[in-house]
Amino acid sequence: MLSIKNLRANVDDKPILNGLNLEIKPGEVHAIMGPNGSGKSTLAHILAGRDGYDVTDGEVVYQGKDLLALNTEQRAHQGLFLAMQYPVELPGVNTMTFLRESLNAIRRARGEAELDAVNFIKLVREKARLVHMDDRLLKRNVNAGFSGGEKKRNEILQMALLEPRLAILDETDSGLDIDALRIVADGINALRSPERAIVLVTHYQRLLDYIEPDQVHVLANGRIVRSGDKELAQLLEQKGYRWIEQEAAA
Amino acid sequence: MKTATDSRQWFTQLLQQEDSAAAVETHAWLNRARDAARSALHTLPLPEKKQEAWRYTSIEGLLEHEFEPVSADFDALQVEDIDTWLLPDTRAYRLVFANGRFVPALRNFDQLPDGVTIGSLRHALSHDPVSLAIWFGQTADHAEHIFTALNTALINDGLFIHIKRDVILERPIEVVHLNLGLETPQLIQPRNLLVLERGANARLIERYESSGTSVYFHNAVSEILLEDNAALTHYRLQQESPRAYHLHQSFLAQAAHSQYRSTSLALGGKWARHDLEICFQAEGADCDTNGLYLAGNKQLVDQHLNIKHSRPRNASRHNYKGILHGSGRAVFDGRILVDKDAQKTDAHLFNKNLLLSRNAEVDTKPQLEIYADDVKCSHGTTVGQLEPEQLFYLRSRGIEPTLAMKMLCLGFAGEILDNIDLQPVREHAEQQVHELLDRIADKLGERLDD
Repeated sequence: MLSIKNLRANVDDKPILNGLNLEIKPGEVHAIMGPNGSGKSTLAHILAGRDGYDVTDGEVVYQGKDLLALNTEQRAHQGLFLAMQYPVELPGVNTMTFLRESLNAIRRARGEAELDAVNFIKLVREKARLVHMDDRLLKRNVNAGFSGGEKKRNEILQMALLEPRLAILDETDSGLDIDALRIVADGINALRSPERAIVLVTHYQRLLDYIEPDQVHVLANGRIVRSGDKELAQLLEQKGYRWIEQEAAA
Repeated sequence: MKTATDSRQWFTQLLQQEDSAAAVETHAWLNRARDAARSALHTLPLPEKKQEAWRYTSIEGLLEHEFEPVSADFDALQVEDIDTWLLPDTRAYRLVFANGRFVPALRNFDQLPDGVTIGSLRHALSHDPVSLAIWFGQTADHAEHIFTALNTALINDGLFIHIKRDVILERPIEVVHLNLGLETPQLIQPRNLLVLERGANARLIERYESSGTSVYFHNAVSEILLEDNAALTHYRLQQESPRAYHLHQSFLAQAAHSQYRSTSLALGGKWARHDLEICFQAEGADCDTNGLYLAGNKQLVDQHLNIKHSRPRNASRHNYKGILHGSGRAVFDGRILVDKDAQKTDAHLFNKNLLLSRNAEVDTKPQLEIYADDVKCSHGTTVGQLEPEQLFYLRSRGIEPTLAMKMLCLGFAGEILDNIDLQPVREHAEQQVHELLDRIADKLGERLDD
């Protein structure tokens, strides 16, 4: 589904990714872990098509297509979804309007009919239950006055609604208390399916107590320095990142 | 570039057309006002850059044109002719002015509640000159404003509303100023007078529309007198020909505990300026004005506010937002003056601007002049662009950049549009803003893909 080969990228002429390789198949859940500044969020942003990153080498093939040749909305139309680490507020933009425009844009791209208002509201209500999201939040402007946890739940709600093929969750666990973490994790687990791949980008191992990954990768200095199963995450929790950075440097 | 002599002549030459304008019924007091205004046109300083009120707003384009007074007769107009400009379902008492002239046949009512007069100023001048003598010129200062002097000197017709003591008008009033394109550039000068007596309450929808893309100069003056405890809600929607010059000077006097709420939309015209001067005459009055302006394609839109807190314990809030695209320009000049006697004044002034292109420009100048020491006042202004993070968020959810920009612009404008309590008016305003944004969104999209 996703094949990243020798990806190199700069931000302001500073190399952040230094030859990154990654293979992801449908149905898999991958965790990408690493210390601050290792390039985790840069990778997530480049995959979603955000401005400000210069890809200097390598390739990203997504469902047989050159992902980097697509613009941001085309990637979304092709089933790529990024749950943001810091979802922004959209002043004056109503949440329901936002969700509806988004869903219909993606349905149009898939050649499906747009949903009418009644069916749309029914669908949102159903998906909102999955992340215990209050109706009152849906009536507000997008993320306006939302708590950190509410913003993250709103991201998972969007994922549930848009049904992506590849979901990248950027630090979705950050800033969540234990109850919110469980709700978000339950939501994500409910969205696991044989056709869908999920990438969890995280600093901490605790999210992986709730969502069991098929593979764990450690990112350091812009490269994946080690891959393994969930036990690798536990090892990192015990020994910290320095151990693996030192080993990689050796 | 015109010389000062040329510019002066532009004003004084218009005076000579007076005879061709249908004369209104004359009264000694009115003649005195007109004579004073005529003299003022010879002596008042010309609007130019060195005057603070005209620093960012050039009238050079206006002076390029020779305008003629309205001589056509519009009495033959039928409702079917103007259907497209009427709002559905407002339940309003509707009046139509065509090129500044009242058209009786387009009025949608025969009777009004007791104590309510809604009609033309010209009619009122022949039927109730004694009352008019008291109100006319009370707030509009032709000794200070040259365009007000021009309006007064050539006074012809306009809106007249008088609501007697304690009358609460249930249905809103809708006044459509429709400017029909004619071959020669027209000088259209409505003179509006609104008087709400003590405790009276009304809602006014005031609309300025064009039938085509003709050149004309719409030089309106409004005087609004709110007596004790009177309340007026005022919606002002201006969307005119892309070649129209529109100047509207509004003068509002608020007596004790009166309330004024307004939402003003400036959406079209080559050069559109609204001056609003508010004077608090007693205590306990409240004033809340909001505005939204859009300009692009070599358009200029200008909002001037002059809020005079000369008495204690009055409150006023002013919030104006603008969206500028293409080569559009905006001027916002808001001044709140708090005299030394005006203790316990509560006054706030905000102006926010969204620039959608590199060539768009705004000159914004909010000013607080405070001479009292026990007041609550604030002001703020912002000029910004669409946030790349917000655009990215929308695009990452599959939304095309043009739609994403439109959604963010509508979100920006929503704060003002949401203030419109009359649903048909709000929906009409929203639709107009939607259509304008649709038209500019495509151009914006091209730019984004660069």
